[in-house]
Amino acid sequence: MRWFGFGFNAFGQICVHNELSKDEGRDTVSDVKIMNPTELHRNVDKSVCGRNKCLKTSQIRASWSRRVWLHVDGDSCVCLAGFGGTSVVDSSGCTDTVLSETHLTLAFSDRIESWDLQKKEKTPAWSMEIQPPTDTSGPPLSLPLVPGGYIATKPPFYRSLSPHLKAKSLALGAEHAILLSATGAVYTWGLGSHGQLGHGGLTSEEEPRAVEALWGMPMKHVVTGGWHCACISDGADLYIWGWNESGQLGLPSQSLRKGHKEESSQQAAADCQSASINPGGKPLEGEKDKEVFISIQAFPALLDISPSCEIRTVSCGSRHTAAVTATGDLYTWGWGEYGQLGHKNLISTDEPQCVDFFKEQKLYVVDVVCGPWNTFTAVGEEEVKLS
Amino acid sequence: MAVLWSKLSAVLPPNEEEFPLQFSDKVESSVVSVLQQSRRQLYSDATSTDRTLTAQIILDLSWEKLNTGTWRDVDKEWRRVYSYGCLFKVAALCREHPSADEILQGIRTCDMGLLMGAAIMDNVLQVLVQILQEETERPRVPVIKDEQAVPRIKCPSLESFKSDYLLPLRPVILEATADHWPAFNEHPWSVEYLRSVAGCRTVPVEVGSRYTDEEWSQTLLTVNEFIDQYVLNRVSDGAKAVGYLAQHQLFDQIPELKEDIRIPDYCCLGDGDEDDITVNQNFLVQVVGSKYIRLYSPEDTDKLYPHQSSLLHNTSQVEVENPDTERFPEFARAPYLECVLQPGDVLFIPVQHWHYIRSLELSFSVSFWWS
Repeated sequence: MRWFGFGFNAFGQICVHNELSKDEGRDTVSDVKIMNPTELHRNVDKSVCGRNKCLKTSQIRASWSRRVWLHVDGDSCVCLAGFGGTSVVDSSGCTDTVLSETHLTLAFSDRIESWDLQKKEKTPAWSMEIQPPTDTSGPPLSLPLVPGGYIATKPPFYRSLSPHLKAKSLALGAEHAILLSATGAVYTWGLGSHGQLGHGGLTSEEEPRAVEALWGMPMKHVVTGGWHCACISDGADLYIWGWNESGQLGLPSQSLRKGHKEESSQQAAADCQSASINPGGKPLEGEKDKEVFISIQAFPALLDISPSCEIRTVSCGSRHTAAVTATGDLYTWGWGEYGQLGHKNLISTDEPQCVDFFKEQKLYVVDVVCGPWNTFTAVGEEEVKLS
Repeated sequence: MAVLWSKLSAVLPPNEEEFPLQFSDKVESSVVSVLQQSRRQLYSDATSTDRTLTAQIILDLSWEKLNTGTWRDVDKEWRRVYSYGCLFKVAALCREHPSADEILQGIRTCDMGLLMGAAIMDNVLQVLVQILQEETERPRVPVIKDEQAVPRIKCPSLESFKSDYLLPLRPVILEATADHWPAFNEHPWSVEYLRSVAGCRTVPVEVGSRYTDEEWSQTLLTVNEFIDQYVLNRVSDGAKAVGYLAQHQLFDQIPELKEDIRIPDYCCLGDGDEDDITVNQNFLVQVVGSKYIRLYSPEDTDKLYPHQSSLLHNTSQVEVENPDTERFPEFARAPYLECVLQPGDVLFIPVQHWHYIRSLELSFSVSFWWS
């Protein structure tokens, strides 16, 4: 698989800066904000990774200042890039990773380890043993889920989860969490001040609470952004809720439009050229002039990215969202000031737009992973459509 | 070094070593590295773009922290980081000859830091905002120094005007010379009067503070539109720019207005060819509002740094009230006469004299070119 990255690159986490500018301590805008999808070097540093076989990057995770990529190819290899330079982590046998701004968490068949990235220590800051799964009926749990609970982003690392939730996957935001159960039900908890829990209000929840609006519609994938959540149903529809101040929900955002008005007329002209796809969800009543703006969407809304298109996967950054369709297209929307939308500009948008780069290059997008201010996409061979 | 920046930097530490950047562990080392980068750029000759970029990264990140969790739970360290971001941004904005708009942005940035951040460096943002505020409150009405004032006389005879001012090409203000105009009496000119006489008429309008600005342009508007968008600031979109109805034979187009003015008697001292503005004498008559005017003699052209291009060769590169003394060192030595022109004043601008004009309020003037 080939991976491309775009967006925030102040620490060289997408691609290393031009050596000259690095020495002078200067960041030019084009180094820091990568507007065009750029292919990630596969053999970034042969001496670092030391293996010729470092070709199959199977997983990428990104924090604000770093990127980690996991190669699983017989043995496995975890490489870090970004703040602190490029390095290889001692990690043979690693099957899964999670990256926060302060810690790198690795899963092995028999243990979980969390390494403190701010200290250069020889041992993990925290670790726990796990029993290899006795029943091989279901797929292995992916981080941050571990048997019996999950690994949080800050201490205490291990938090237990009630077994009746039947947790299948879990995504953690800074202050909220979303859980997908084996039955396809969705639970959320944490802070709710921006509607990110999807229960219809702004109150917080200490314990996992079912998102009732989705009851009866099994979901297959759940993700979180900074202040929003998204999930994909078994029927490949995309649901989204939370804060929309940068258009990250794909719904009309007043603060976004106001911000655009204050900028130069050149900018405004560019906006007018963007495709105006009507987001679905609650039908906007009245004429076009009387547009309804949404700053907080406290219940899940169905988002129609493009007509009759199935959504294969979705990922959220801090204030932007990226989705891959079953036909291999990538759509992005939300905050774009660091180039994280990949539309070759630095404009935020509240309307999902296709990233033309991949179409132009005839590349078939199969996966997307967002860091807080950047986006990574995997392209592959065109695959048989999932039924 | 620009005057404003010298005032601002006097309030900041003299060098990188004495600039404190201490934070608790709550602030990750990656973030601290960006703050250190900003500090480095403050004392090096980084570009304004780079400085702004780094400051904005700090602001964007700390803004996200400030919006995470409840306000009272937000760690004070992140509020301090936000204040540092504001400080670095203001420093970048106001360093190299900021425009009036950039100074206002700087003030707003200071205020954001004061509202959402936490005090840093002995509340430096409070000190900076006061310096910036003073900058915008520069004397609205400049104080005219006697030894540089354009002389004023009341209704001189034709002969004495000719011998004392016209022939020696000396500027003068003729007082009480236009008092009899209908524009001051039967039809006192005002915004409403102009609307009633010419509101639906289309006129050319120049948009932009200076015609050396990149964003200067000309457009056609009705007088009503001009008044709404540029005079009264009623329409939010157009309000930021400055609009000027100028260089135009308005009185040929709208003869009703011509009825309200009178050609000064002194124009008969000329011999009649009025077409080429630049080789003519000029009477500038102030009707409504006041203007600050400075006049430089053509003898001092070499100290005024005119543009090289043929289009702008009769325009100076210098910002008269905020001159860049490094690029234009001789300008300070160019002698000038100045005045605040009030309604009823008639200013004689001798041929080829350089003139700088700033309206102090809503202003209507009428120009007579003659030779």
